[in-house]
Parts: sequence; C-alpha cells; structure tokens
Amino acid sequence: MIFGRHSVLKRGCSTWDKQQMPQEEYQGRLEIVRQKMAQQGLDALVIYGDNYAYADLCYLTNYFPKVRGGIGVIPRSGTISLLLNIGSRDVPFAKTLTWVDDVRASGHLGRDCADVLKEKGLAQAKVGLVDSGKGMPLPQLEELKESLPQVQWQPSHSMLQQMRLQKSAKELAALRETGRVLNEICDGAREFINPGRREYEIIADIDRLARDKGVEDIRILSGEKRLQPPSFKMTANAGNHWAVYLAIQHERYWVEVGRTYILSSESKLQSAYQKAQEIVAQMAMQLKRGNSVKVIDETARKQLGEFYATAANYGLGNGIGLNQWEAPYLSEDEARQVGSVSVGASVLNENMTLALRVTFETEGKLILFGDSYEVTPDGPKSLTIK
Amino acid sequence: MNAQQEFENRITKVRQAMREKELQTLLVFDSGRHNFLRMNYVAYLTDFISVGPETMLMLSLEDEPTLFLSPAWDIARAKEESWVKNVQPVDSLWNRLGNHIGKAGLIGREAMNVDLHEELVRALSQTPVNAKDILENMARRKSEFELERLRRAATIADAGVQALHDDARIGLKEFELAAIVEYKMRSLGAEDNFGMVVANNHNQALHPPTDRVVQSGDIIIGEITPCIGGLFVQICRTMVLGKPAPLVNEKYAILKKAMRLGLDAAKTGAPASAVAAAINGTFVEAGYEKYCQPPFMRVRGHGLGCGSSAPGNLEDENKTKLEQGMTFIVHPNQYLPETGYMTLGDTVEMTQSKAEPMTRSSWDIYVKD
Repeated sequence: MIFGRHSVLKRGCSTWDKQQMPQEEYQGRLEIVRQKMAQQGLDALVIYGDNYAYADLCYLTNYFPKVRGGIGVIPRSGTISLLLNIGSRDVPFAKTLTWVDDVRASGHLGRDCADVLKEKGLAQAKVGLVDSGKGMPLPQLEELKESLPQVQWQPSHSMLQQMRLQKSAKELAALRETGRVLNEICDGAREFINPGRREYEIIADIDRLARDKGVEDIRILSGEKRLQPPSFKMTANAGNHWAVYLAIQHERYWVEVGRTYILSSESKLQSAYQKAQEIVAQMAMQLKRGNSVKVIDETARKQLGEFYATAANYGLGNGIGLNQWEAPYLSEDEARQVGSVSVGASVLNENMTLALRVTFETEGKLILFGDSYEVTPDGPKSLTIK
Repeated sequence: MNAQQEFENRITKVRQAMREKELQTLLVFDSGRHNFLRMNYVAYLTDFISVGPETMLMLSLEDEPTLFLSPAWDIARAKEESWVKNVQPVDSLWNRLGNHIGKAGLIGREAMNVDLHEELVRALSQTPVNAKDILENMARRKSEFELERLRRAATIADAGVQALHDDARIGLKEFELAAIVEYKMRSLGAEDNFGMVVANNHNQALHPPTDRVVQSGDIIIGEITPCIGGLFVQICRTMVLGKPAPLVNEKYAILKKAMRLGLDAAKTGAPASAVAAAINGTFVEAGYEKYCQPPFMRVRGHGLGCGSSAPGNLEDENKTKLEQGMTFIVHPNQYLPETGYMTLGDTVEMTQSKAEPMTRSSWDIYVKD
C-alpha cells in the first residue's frame, strides 16, 4: 500500500458541485442504508470519519472533515445529525458542503454523540458503529460507550464499504473528472522536472499546478531510488531520473497515478519503464466482471519475476474512490495494512474502480508506473489516459 | 547542539521519567494522522514523521530502542531520517511483546483505535499505563534545536505573506490565492501547512478556500502555518484589494492594539489567561464585549503541534504559566459587525522575561490598489 504524508488540513478548493453529485444521490443511498439497518434490526448508525478516512461519512452526507473528525448519527427514521470537531463559527461553512441540516460543532465527539442519541430517544437502542477507516480515537469511543451503558453496539464497518464497491453513474463521472484533472497535472509536471532543481522545488511546482486546478487534497511521493514524502531534509537536487506517485482528491474522489521521468537516453531504464507499463496493462486486462481479484496479483507475480517482492512491498493496487485506498484489496496483507478485516470483494464486478501500480528497482533506480481504472462491460478503462 | 545530542538528551530524560514511574518499557505510538494542535510523540523522539497508520517506538531502560512501522517500504527513510538504528516492520512488534517486558507505559493512546489497543493489551498481558505526561512535560519548553527549525518556519511564513501581497489580484479564485501562499512556502521547503486564505467584502470566519472570484474591495484574511521538521509556525494577516470599505482601517486598529496589549501581557511566569484578558479587554473597551465569544472568535491564541502544544489555548480558563522556551500564536482574530472577520497574529517565543514575535511581517493592513 502506498501512503503519503497526511496533511494537517485539507486546504484545497472546498465546494460542492451539486450538478455532479446532486442531493438525490444521497437520498437514494440513505434509503438503501435504512433498509439494511432494518434487516439487521439496527435503530441507528453512528458513522465516524476524519480527514484521513472520510469515505463512509461522506458517502451519506457529502461532507468530509477538513481537520480532525466527525460523526454522522443516522436514525432508522427521522433527522440525520452531523457532529463535527470544529468551532461554532465554522458551522455555516460546513453546511455549504452537505445537505444535512442538523450540523453541530463538537469539542467532545464521544460525549456529544451520546447526547444526540439520547435526544433522539436512542439511549437503549441497538446501534451500528461504522468506522472502516479505524480512525475513531479510543478516548472518544470510550466516552461514547460509557455515556450510553444500555445501548447495544454492533460493529457495522462493512455495511457502507460493500455499498461503495460498485460506483454509481454519478460517482464514475466524478472519478473520470478527477482522472482528467490528474492527467493534466501529469502532463504539466514534465516541464518542472529538470536536473539540478531541488526536489522540494519540483514538488512545489506540481502542488501549485494541482491546487490551481481546484483539487481538495494531494499526495506526492517521489525520488530517484525510493519514494518519500516532501521533507525539508530533501535537499538533494534532482538528477536524470525521478519516480513520482501522485494522488489527488477532487470533489471528494481520489485517483492516483505513478510515473517515472527518465531524462537520459539510458536504454535499460527506458525499457524497464516500458516493461512496467506493459505489466500494468496486463494486470488491467484482468479487470473483468467475474474475474477473481487474486488474478491481478497472480498476473503481476508471473510478469515481474524477481522484481515481484519489491513491487508487492509498495503494493500492486487497491480499490480507489472516496478513499485513497479501499476495497477491493488485492490481498489479505494489503487489507490488513489499513485495518480492514477482509479484501472486501473476492470477485470483480462492473463499476468497481481500482488503482494498479508496478514499482521495482533496476540499475540502482526506482521504476514506477501506475494508473487508475474502472471496470466496464467492455473491460478496463483508464480514468486518466484518454 | 547537534541532532544526535538533542535526541540522546531526550531519550535520557525519558528513561529518567520511566524510572520515576517504575516503567520498564515505554511504547510510543503514532497513527499517521497529523494534528497541528496535538503532539506527534514518535516524531519528537525519533525525528521521523511517519506516513503509515501504525508506528510504534519501543523503548526500554537499557536496550537500543526499536522503531516498528508500516508500510515496510518506508523503513529505509526511517533509518536515514531518524537516529534509531533498529527499524522493523510493524508486524514484528507483536513477537517482542509479552510478560518479559515488565511494567509498560503507553504514549499516544489518544490516537489509537480500539482494536489496536485491545490487541496490544492482549499481547502485553497488561493494560499499559498512559504515560503521555512524560513527553508533554518534557516538550513544553522548546530547545534550541527546535527553535532553529521554528525560526526557519517563521521566515517561510513571512515569505508566504509577502507572496500573497505580491501576487494577489482581482479575478483570481480563493483557492488560487491559497495556492500562491502554499507554493511560496513549499518552494522554500515547508512540508505541510495549516493554511486558510479567503476573500470577501464581509468575511464570516476563516475556512478552506472556495471557488469564489476575488473582487475589488475584498478583505483577504489568511491564517498561514508552515511546518518544518514537524514544527509549525503560524501567522495571521489581513489585506485589502482595491479601496478598503470605510471603517476597515479604523476597526483593524483595534486588532493591532489588542495584539500589542496581548504581547505585553505575555510575560514569562504570567498565566496564559492574562493574554486572553488583555485582548478581550481591548475589544470590550471598544464596545464589542458581546463579540468576545464564539462564534465571533474562538480563542486568543494557542500552542502549535506537532511538537508540544503547550501552553494550550489562550483563554480565560487557562491558568497555565507561560515558561521560557514555549512557543505559541497570539491572534486577536475577530468578527466585527461593521467589517466582518479580520485576522492578525504572530507566533511568539517566550524569552527569559517576555514574548518575542518570531514572524516579522508588518502588522499594518496591506492595501493593494
């Protein structure tokens, strides 16, 4: 799995494009969730999200925490409440990003969530707890449970994860738009990558390009021999070889790519990069409805040979969408890295979206190629490459 | 003091505190969820800022410390950036835990999820003592090593303000204004930024930027917070594009007066509340008592993680004594009914006697025709 350095604040463009993702989309999701709640005898759901993993919360509310965390309280009927770890002055702005009317500032999410459940008459209810990102801080959860001793808690982490596996038409359109923006950034990045420049200067240029295109957040990892996040310690000047992992969040949806910029005519490196692209293409060819998810890993293993271990270390891919990494995971090990108890889906289906990548070392340099795809009835389709 | 001495000192102090608390092993956790109002304990002890969801430093009284982390591909960076020589994949942590490690303390429990904590308790056959006070107390006064980084971050923050002055113009979108600042600071080496820049002729509050197009007469407010080596410095400033609306300069003068009096009140040994009282008093005197509370303001300043966030929030209830070496932001940011929200603030270092601003940009409202 590729992790970038998590930003303290999602400080890019913060808007809600209601044409791209209208309120009706959320109402439809909410109805399905409430049907599932009824089937499982749940009176309410408590959904935790933060600015690291917001997918479940955002899937129902369109809101994503900019900083720290938030909780959605979803009763089986009646008003949804959104508790956000922000100041009261920030509530009006938060309300521009969600259709939920009842948005409250909360300094103590656990305690305040308990109060909301009591207010809704759910102090003795059966409540599903959704925290698939494993982000809810322990003291907050303890406070919540201690305040509601008669609530029967049921882990429901996979309920929304399963719903999010196959993207709706609106979601696919959003992902394609993110992919289009990312493709433009990759094209633009080429001119910034010149030997002799400090790596953090190049990253600043790429970051600027992305932010000027209205991204909400960005992850950049780069290097000649290994991937690393931006650091003031990154004082080396770029040479003729630079591998870059780029992921952007645009209107809530993440898409990632991997590229290697080889500025020399070193034929071994050029052919290695060509090989990486071919292997990813072969992995992508397995993105067909009914195929086992495992077959992607098997394809990579067969093609990569001795380079498989390094590639697997960085991760060969994962589902992508409202989370930078989500189900389906390509292996149990990948799932475990992000705290998921399973790969989420063992068989591929239409409208799933996955990021695939190949990373290996050769001639003392890192080679990286990756792209994001949707599974269509006609096979794989890149979200970035036209 | 070089980095090696600095971290040797920190480890020596931690071990001393462990002995006092009769702890044989200390586990220090970070979740990779960086919060600029909270410490990153692992970074404080290792100089390594993790990217993965599970990083644990295991420190005993005698043995070499071990850093366990995910993802495994980041081990090489950890070995290079930190002084810790023994760096292992997080999976191998579990084999190292058990009764033999003695009484265990845990720092970073607040960032743990329940499943991980339960797994840890099972593996240890004990519930580790919450030992965060060890680092919270140790880190409250910044060392010269940290101050060097903070001064660099302060220079970058000032450069961010200057870039906004130079490049802000009518017709840009808010997120493009924010990108101007971000770009300047990143190109100078900033690793992260708790940054918000917005523009309106009557701002309600700071928030992340939208796609609103900047217009003549807009008041641009910014809270800019670059990070160097895990340490943040914040600066808050206000500028106007075009002709300011009547009263803007007059009302902004109240913020400047509040800032000056707030700094004057920040004497070493004084409580944090004294700064808040001085700032609030200025607004009360100007007739804005009812605006000295949320949602019209939040606090009058605060400590800044991911180093120590001492002294906490500058508010009436905070009686924490200001100590030499503490760094924090003083910001009389305020919504006023005539002008909307305006911002002014500097990160300060507590010297032997008083607060000295680390950021140098002029306090004047910057007007760009």
